Amino acid sequence: MIREETERPEQVKIVFFPYGKREWFSKGRVSIFSAAKALGIDLSSLCGGKGTCGKCKVKIGEGIKGLNPLTEQELKHITQEEIEAGYRLACQAIPTTSISVYVPERSRVGKQRLQTEGLEVPVKQLNPFVRKYFVKLPKPTLHDFRSDEDRLLDTLNAGYGLSTGLEIDFELGVDLASRLRDADWAVTAVIWKNRIIEVEPGNTSGRCFGFAVDVGTTKLAGFLMDLNTGKVVAVASRMNPQISLGEEVMSRITHQIMEGHKGVKELQGAVVSGINEMIEECCEKVGVEKNEIYELCFVGNTAMQLCFLGIYGRYVAFTPYPPVLRRGVNIWASSIGLTSHPRANVYHAPVIGGFVGGDNVAVILATRMLESDEICMALDIGTNTEIDLGNKNLVMVDSCASGPAFEGMQIKHGMRAATGAIERVSIDLETLEINYRTIEDKPPVGLCGSALVDVPAELLKAGLIDLTGKFVPEMAEKTNRLRRNPKGIWEFVLVLQPETATDTDIVVTQGDIRELQKAKAAMRTGAEILMKRLGEERKETVTEDDISKLFMAGAFGNYIDPENARTIGMYPELPYERVEFVGNIAGTGSRMCLISKEEREYAEKIATTVKYHELAADKDFQKEYIDALYFPHKNLDKYPDTADLLRRLGRIR
Amino acid sequence: MNKKAQIFERLRKAVIVGDTEEAVKAAQDVIDTGIEPWKAITEGLAKGMEVVGEKFEKKEYFIPEMLVSADAMYAALNLLLPLLETDETVEKQKVVLGVVEGDIHDIGKNIVKAMLTAGGYEVIDLGVDVPTEKFVETASSDEVKVIAMSTMMTPTLLSLKDVEEQLEKKGLKGKVKTIVGGGTVTEDWRSKIGSDAYGKDAADAVGKVKLLLNQIKAAVELAKKKREKRS
Repeated sequence: MIREETERPEQVKIVFFPYGKREWFSKGRVSIFSAAKALGIDLSSLCGGKGTCGKCKVKIGEGIKGLNPLTEQELKHITQEEIEAGYRLACQAIPTTSISVYVPERSRVGKQRLQTEGLEVPVKQLNPFVRKYFVKLPKPTLHDFRSDEDRLLDTLNAGYGLSTGLEIDFELGVDLASRLRDADWAVTAVIWKNRIIEVEPGNTSGRCFGFAVDVGTTKLAGFLMDLNTGKVVAVASRMNPQISLGEEVMSRITHQIMEGHKGVKELQGAVVSGINEMIEECCEKVGVEKNEIYELCFVGNTAMQLCFLGIYGRYVAFTPYPPVLRRGVNIWASSIGLTSHPRANVYHAPVIGGFVGGDNVAVILATRMLESDEICMALDIGTNTEIDLGNKNLVMVDSCASGPAFEGMQIKHGMRAATGAIERVSIDLETLEINYRTIEDKPPVGLCGSALVDVPAELLKAGLIDLTGKFVPEMAEKTNRLRRNPKGIWEFVLVLQPETATDTDIVVTQGDIRELQKAKAAMRTGAEILMKRLGEERKETVTEDDISKLFMAGAFGNYIDPENARTIGMYPELPYERVEFVGNIAGTGSRMCLISKEEREYAEKIATTVKYHELAADKDFQKEYIDALYFPHKNLDKYPDTADLLRRLGRIR
Repeated sequence: MNKKAQIFERLRKAVIVGDTEEAVKAAQDVIDTGIEPWKAITEGLAKGMEVVGEKFEKKEYFIPEMLVSADAMYAALNLLLPLLETDETVEKQKVVLGVVEGDIHDIGKNIVKAMLTAGGYEVIDLGVDVPTEKFVETASSDEVKVIAMSTMMTPTLLSLKDVEEQLEKKGLKGKVKTIVGGGTVTEDWRSKIGSDAYGKDAADAVGKVKLLLNQIKAAVELAKKKREKRS
């Protein structure tokens, strides 16, 4: 509820994307480069900010008019095209108004650690929609004057028994004649469903590729797959370039609403450009031509589906949040500017509701929950966290706005999992000293998601915060790490400045703890209410004991400490051995849909069978949410093991 | 400390720590000892909520603490309000409060409601997902001077704009003043849509509402003086 004031005299606010880091700086005195350095953003530079190396190119979003004119040095490094797109050299650009800055991939030093890997799940049957058939056609003669089309169809029928409803795509038909003759009548027909979309010269049936994508709100994961073997041949990931148009789903849709058609196109163009980059990267890695990709499969939440397919989403954003298209969608790659084969089919998995999309369909598909005898729970953690619960009889799902706190946003020294991010933290219960580890062992810049799970858990165990999440002022007598900032707000110092890569201490504030509490409470409430409502449907209570398996999926799933996550009450108290980290399981589901007709049909079935529960409208939401704000929970009976631990540590009686 | 001050202090403390039982007991003592209920509200309950608001601003109090404090306050208020003299209730200013159309998040709104109530206003709570027409309709009533609306989501920021536009259209803009707030609302957005005030949090909202009402009062008096001069 408490927000920073939006304007300050003599200061400008600089926001860096895709990091989501922001700070106030003196107006007209600080270059974007210095600001980035102060915030520990990994902006590359060889010359150290003199404007001679041209490495620190950034793209300006809002506030470009408030910058000084392009300098001579900049004109040497930035092309006209880039100028029009809003590029500047960070070291030369000095803002006099608040500004948003996007740091493109090429201008970053450290690699973001984006989790793309997900559990491998065998498909029911390797059965892609795209097939390749090599045929040798008899040449036309005076006695055999069939059309080129019939000649090809007849031969395919004779050789492979492909007769039913096969047709040649008209666009291919336009230059079919020369293709056949240039290849001396020996060609490989590429068939998607019952449509011949390409003929390649010679026998290329051994090479058949597809591309599966998980379109996340913050990150994209792409998998180049060999459709003959069903194996992944290359992986790529990117930040979703749409981030500069809005940090989370709601602001993306707002962008559509505010900008209308232009905004819809901008969002679509942004995500497509990111996907094209991944296609290019994967193809280069393994020597595949982009034209050899004949099908693409996408999963994404409902807002991402809208933004990707270019659907106007205004009404999805308002209660009761109805999706526009629920079913799976098939369109041509060229129609939205994807650089695979132009006639490659693009399949977007069906969505379940306004807040539960194709990515969740993929989660249910890949966890096989809807086929399980035992009750399973899946938690797909992200800016929106989806929770699934059930078994073969019924799976229910809800979605909660857990927010981006665990992705490092809205946290004073939060950051994404990139070089220099603190990823593990522990506090010595005796000395209250800190041990930490950073990504690639570089000097610490900030805290990423996994550390943001560790911090409240460790503070709690050390007695530095109480069960309500409040810092315990008396502990300031035991350690000077606990202090009040100039505004009188409590904060805990994790790393003192000389050790950090930035020019400040790395701290966690009382406000940060509150943000994390809200995020974890939202997830926990989603789980609790689903347990209640599933119980009502089944006419028997569903408790922790009934849940045989908890799949933890999502952005930082594999990196978080399951004990600490449980200690803060992020998920119901289940024995650790029932918790399985499955990583980017939505990506797994996307791959399965790409290589198997059966799985794709099953995905369509999931979308219509799973029961969506609207959390915000639930009568118990407010009470459950408030109880879940506590560490680990207001009702400690729900956390007997954790309560026992805290009792032994003397934190509770 | 005299008896009266002691009881006020108990009310204040009960609100700060969120002790509903003690709040009710102290309110009963107010009644039994014949203290003016209005005084007990302003000197006891409201003072307590003030401290709660300060702690919330420093993040030392969080949503649960805010809500238990509000509960304690309401419990005492329910006993004291019916005893107020009629002219005292007439004095009370009415504030319309609601979460705009398309949004159903109500925890924040309830905290604002508690703070406004403690601040001595009569809050007409329209609830959540309130249609634009409903706000406008309520604003047409003579007694309503301030409309407070909020949203937690981004697209529904537009609903705030809708209300402003409708008020303008109906010529109600001068008569009622608006204050906006909530998770996604900013001072920037306030000025864009032409609302009269932005409350960055519950405590801030109470101060701003007071300011708005003073503005209205001043405007009314000025108009009155002008009229008198003319006649």
